[in-house]
Amino acid sequence: MVKKLEKLSYTRVGRIIINGLWRDNPIFCMVLGICSSLAITNRVENAIAMGLGVTFATVFTSGIISAIRNFIPGRVRMITYMVIASTLVICVDQFLKAFFPVISEAMGPYVGLIITNCIVMGRAEAFAIKNPVGYSLLDGLSCGMGYSYALIVMSIIRETLAFGTILRIRVMPEIWTNWVVMAMAPGAFILLASYLWIMRTLAHIEPEKK
Amino acid sequence: MKEKISMLVFVIFLGTISAGLLVGINSYTTPKVLKNKELKIKSSILAVLSIEYSKNEISETFAQNIEIIKKDNAVFYRSKNNEIVFEFSGSGLWGPISGVIALNPDLKTIKGIKITHQEETPGLGGRISEKEFLDGFKDKNIFQKSLAIVKGKASKDYEVDGITGATMTCKAFEDIINKNIKKFTELAK
Repeated sequence: MVKKLEKLSYTRVGRIIINGLWRDNPIFCMVLGICSSLAITNRVENAIAMGLGVTFATVFTSGIISAIRNFIPGRVRMITYMVIASTLVICVDQFLKAFFPVISEAMGPYVGLIITNCIVMGRAEAFAIKNPVGYSLLDGLSCGMGYSYALIVMSIIRETLAFGTILRIRVMPEIWTNWVVMAMAPGAFILLASYLWIMRTLAHIEPEKK
Repeated sequence: MKEKISMLVFVIFLGTISAGLLVGINSYTTPKVLKNKELKIKSSILAVLSIEYSKNEISETFAQNIEIIKKDNAVFYRSKNNEIVFEFSGSGLWGPISGVIALNPDLKTIKGIKITHQEETPGLGGRISEKEFLDGFKDKNIFQKSLAIVKGKASKDYEVDGITGATMTCKAFEDIINKNIKKFTELAK
């Protein structure tokens, strides 16, 4: 009996992790958080900062929502997600400003982008509102990680082509001509589209037939 | 009816808790944040004048090297070499941009610019606070003709290389610098 339960929980945990990282990946399957992935993937360091911020916000918002899910009236649930996510992010931002001004400065421009990231709300609505706290935390973490690695992959390609560097370290030979277009919006759109196409083909995601 | 009341209670409860949290953390951190801000401005002024300082003695180094001048509600800073520094601020594309600008003792050319706050798109407009961009302002003469941030390579002594993909931010930054320089020259008369 115990063994059976263990096995069941293992598959559940395993499923949540695989869903976040691969089968339901926020970027290429759910196509959430596209705005930020277009805007900030031109440097690897931006992608890492944004990935960490969103992962943090998703984990804790999902956790809190899940903990109070039985009290949230259905009609105001969206507002509740928004209030909790923004309160949390602003509190952390304020705390960083007071005690770690250097980190806060680096994170400054991302705060708004993190609060309004669709993944935070998307996971609260799709998962945390109907699942227990532990699973919700895990779901937030795996979706955050799925988002982060997609951003990092895209930013590595963009930074290499656009600036010839990765994390500001030169990787391309000196004769390399920077593809400036990759640092700008058109490059982001082309790359995101190609990335979605490749990943969706690899993950066998078919468009829904109507 | 019961449902509506419980919804109302929940919303009030949620609002009170989150507002209380924000007010609490704000009043707790405000003095520290203000102090950090002051140190940030002082350290930026020292940095823009290339005066060396250690992290723990910013205020001391500042007091030794910089003289604060007040005139008509405006504040300037003067170094021992007669370089003048003043703070500037204005609106960028997405949010306020502020920083400090230092002038060489001849008061005609820029010694350096440092940005203390900006909220531009990371990687695009956000690059205005990078050294490579701000170094372009060094020794530019901006008092005869107003500063222009141009696409491609700057050729004249009032032009500065722009950032590719951040035309709007560059335009906003150019306006901020020009407005503040104008305000300064009027005050300095």
